[in-house]
Order: sequence, then C-alpha cells, then structure tokens
Amino acid sequence: MSQLDILLVVLRVAFGAFIPICFIAIGVWMERRGAGFIQDRSGPNRCNIFGFRAGGLVQNLADGVKLIFKEDFIAGHIQHKFYFVLAPVLVFFTALVSFAAIPFADTLVLGGKSYIMQTIPLDIGILWFLACTGFAVYGIILAGWSSHNKYGILGGLRSAAQVISYEIPMGLALVSLLVVYGTVNLSEIARFQGQLLFGFIPMWGVILQPLGVVIFIVAAFAETNRTPFDFAEGESEIVAGFHIEYSSMKFGMFFLGEYVAMFASSAIIVTLFFGGYQIPWLATETMVAYAQPIAIVLMLLLPFITYYFNKWIRKNNASQYYRPNDPRVREANVYITIFWILAAAVEIILLTLVVINPSADGVRIFVVLLQMATFLLKATAMCFVYVWVRWTLPRFRYDQLQKLGWQILLPLSLVNIFITSAVVVALS
Amino acid sequence: MTVKIKTLERQGSSFIEKIYLREVFRGMRTTFDHFWRNLLDNSKLYVRHYPEVQPEITPRWRGRHRLTTHEDGTVKCVACFMCQTNCPSHCISIEAGERVDGKSEKMPVRFEIDLLECIYCGYCVEACPMDAIRMDTGIYSVITTERSSVVKGMDELLATPGAFSEEDYKKRGL
Repeated sequence: MSQLDILLVVLRVAFGAFIPICFIAIGVWMERRGAGFIQDRSGPNRCNIFGFRAGGLVQNLADGVKLIFKEDFIAGHIQHKFYFVLAPVLVFFTALVSFAAIPFADTLVLGGKSYIMQTIPLDIGILWFLACTGFAVYGIILAGWSSHNKYGILGGLRSAAQVISYEIPMGLALVSLLVVYGTVNLSEIARFQGQLLFGFIPMWGVILQPLGVVIFIVAAFAETNRTPFDFAEGESEIVAGFHIEYSSMKFGMFFLGEYVAMFASSAIIVTLFFGGYQIPWLATETMVAYAQPIAIVLMLLLPFITYYFNKWIRKNNASQYYRPNDPRVREANVYITIFWILAAAVEIILLTLVVINPSADGVRIFVVLLQMATFLLKATAMCFVYVWVRWTLPRFRYDQLQKLGWQILLPLSLVNIFITSAVVVALS
Repeated sequence: MTVKIKTLERQGSSFIEKIYLREVFRGMRTTFDHFWRNLLDNSKLYVRHYPEVQPEITPRWRGRHRLTTHEDGTVKCVACFMCQTNCPSHCISIEAGERVDGKSEKMPVRFEIDLLECIYCGYCVEACPMDAIRMDTGIYSVITTERSSVVKGMDELLATPGAFSEEDYKKRGL
C-alpha cells in the first residue's frame, strides 16, 4: 500500500466515525430549536461562551457536561450488571457501525487507481445496514430486561414486537427496490440513480418506487424508535420504558444512540431513494467534464447566498427588547465577518480551479468534495424530516401500530413487489 | 330550561382519512408554516423574554402578602384570627398581645406567613374585617436558599409597599 492508499483509508474511516458523532450535536440542536419554532417558542438560546451562542449549539455542551457529571447509579435490585451496562453500548455501537456501508461520494480515481468512498468497502451494503439496525433492538430489549423493572420490561417487549412487525415491510420494500436496481451494493445503487429517466428526470428511487418510499420511511421511523412509533420509550404510558433505570452517561448513550440511528437511517433513505450523493442532472462524469463551468456558477452563487444568509443573521440575532449596546448585535457582527471570510476562502479555492487548469486528479477531488457536501445536505434535510414528523404527529395506539404494520404495510409491500417485478420483466 | 346541545361531526372514519397519508401531510404543512414563519423572523415567536421583560401585573393579581397600616403608621391588624382560621393551608400563625397605641384592644405581637405552605388563594384577604392584609405587592417570585427565610415575619410584611394606587386597588372588582 502506498502512502496515498493509507491516507485515503484513514480519511474515509474518520468520515464514517466522526460525521455521525458530529451529527449528534446537529441532530439534538435541530430537534430542540425545531421543536421550539414549530411550537412558536424559541428553544434553548441563552447558553453561551463569552457571549457566543452559535444559535443555541452551545446548549449541547452544557447538556453533555450535565450528563457526564451526574451520578452514575446502578440500582441495588439489578442482578445482571454486565448486561445492564452492555445495553447502551450495544445501542450506540450498532447505530454507529450501520453508517459504515453508506457511500458518501462516487469512486475517487487518483492516478488511475480507484478508491471507494465508503467507510467499509462492502459489496453487501444494504444487508449490512439491515443486520446492524436489526441488532440495535437487542440493546433495547437487553436494557428493558436487565433493568428488572415492569416499565423497562414493557418497553423492551413493545420494541421487540414492533421491530418484528416493521422489519418485514421494510425488507419487502427493499426487495422491490433491489429488483429495480439489480444489486445490493450501495455504491452501485447510488451510481444507478445518476441516470436520467426519459432523458430529463433524475432516476431516483423516489420516482421509480413511490410506494416503496412511503413503506420504507414509515418502517425506518419505527426502526429508529422515533415518534409516532416511540413505544419503547412511551413516556406518557410507561414512564421512560427501556431506559427507566438508567442515569448519567448510560442514559446519555441511549440518547446519543437515538440521534446516531436517526442520522444513519436518514443516510440510508437518502442513498436508496433520494439519489445518495448524486446532484440531479450532474452525474460524476458530467461534473468531471464540466468542472470549470460548475466552479464559475458556484463562484457567482456564493456571494449571493452569503449575503442573504448574513442578512438573515443580522435580522434574527438581535435582542427583541430594549438593551443598551446590544451584545447580540456585536455577536452577529462576528458571525457575519466569519461567514464572509469563509466565503472568500472558498471563492479563492474555486478561482484557482478556474484560472489554473488543474490536473485530472484535482478535478476528481473537487467533484468528490461537491458530492460529499450534497450527501450531507440531503442527510441533514432528512434528519429535519424526522424532527418535523416528531413534532407533528402524536404517538399511535399500540393496536393501531400493529394493525398498520400487518394489515396495511405488509400487503402493500407485497403488491409493490408484484407490480415492480411485472414492470421490470416487461421492460427487459 | 333547555340545554343547548352541539353535535360535533365525527372525524377520521372516511377512507381517505384512514389511509393517514393525506392527513399526515396536512398536519406537517401546518407545523412547517409555523416553523418557517419563526425561522425567517424570530421576533414573531409568542414568547416573553423573561427575565429581561417582566410580565404586567394587574391589581387583581394575588402576589406576596403584606400588612397594611393606618395613616399614622400603626398596624391595622387587630389580631382577630379571621385569616388564620380561614386559611386552608394553615400557613398563617398569629400571636396576639395587648394594644398600646389606643386604636383598639388587641394587636399581633407575632404575625408569620410560611410562603412554602401558602397556596395564594386570597381567602385571608377576603376574611379580613380591617383590610389589614393584602396581596397587592405584585411580587410573584420568591427565591431563597434557605427555608427559614421564606417564613415572612411581621416586620417584613409591614415594610413591603403595595404596587398599586388606592383607587386602582379599590377598582379591582372583587
């Protein structure tokens, strides 16, 4: 292995390990501020470091410090302390590794050698994801059982029953999807979606499989234990469900695991149905061929985006009551300066790309960076959908959940398989 | 006497509603409208920026108690125990003594209100025949680090001024 090989392995493992963890902070922040705005209140916006609140992101640090410094308590009645401690680790770990098979950019070709932009270069992609998320529920069941608490047991039980009823529609929705794509390799699935349908519609999963999208997204919500399917937790019915006996960072692991699972599942939804890292109408080869025009368009767009974004900051980052020498205006000035500097830096990089005709490798790296940004943007948007749904829909009743799973989603996904297979056979 | 009956239309039984999807999207549109409006301009949030912006307290509002005085500064309370007897949470404790200023026969030598017990019902104010106890200080937030300082004695109750003028207090419509 050359040094470049090692560097790229390190880079992609770092991406797979740290991006989901970074998204915990973004997910929690989005959840709290999003919930605030949806309910016409402001959410956490006071926490600051030297007056810098970063739109409420600093609150995450305060929450983290609080969770870490709480007493790590294991109740005396718990007999299997090992399993009790193992459960949150399982939940967090399986959520983290389930992201590993997802491609975040197209294959990078450097000096005639191609590097797959996946944390683990797996051919079985989607099966890895199914295996890992399916395993996450063991953590929840284990937590419920080892808590030795009736609410905990009920939470674990509900989670088990729910996963059994929703893994099946999820798997069947995937079957029809795999019939369309003809592969289980996530990189190839993402590449497939770079094509155009009838020459002008991006061939995304959402267009080829409209029914499959609905079934898969509903099942994915159930899989990640998010509202409206958060039965394992169900605070209004069974207090806190599976994590009732957990405190301190052991609870924190469940909490973080939920957000990592949310991100991983957003990433898989994006990869399967919303084109993965593909920018619509711009397949990898097109982008490589037209790198300079794309860079020029970006250079033209960036000042406008920064201008309007800064205007938005100026408007919203101010105290809404009389305050002499408003410190929030000063804070906004700093943010605006930072964003202009960042924009200028990106402009300079783009300018070098336009002025100095770069080598093929440089263009490839530029394309991969663009695709990574697109992928993260899409995943963030999907995370927002998770938050949005959580603060819109109330929890289902338990029998409604089972009825929806077995009587509606299961037959629908079977019908979907038949229709898809018929169409695929007729076309080929 | 006829009872007015309003029959509400039952929702959620039609086929399209049982599919959930359309209703889910309608709900999501509503929440997104709120989100988008507040994201674009967060001055439209329905929040008071407490503690910098304090709520407006009206004369009807029952805040922390105070004891009133005559114009010459003597305490109005005659230690009749009406408020203590009326108090549903037993937070008032009075000790009566002989009155020396000639206004009447009795006066309290000790008058204590335990604010941790008090439920702010205002029965003491209604029961008082002398208008000696009022809840018009406008104080709604009592913060302390020790329990003993929440038991307010006579000196403190007498020293706290009312937050409203006499006319406003009279007009409060009780």
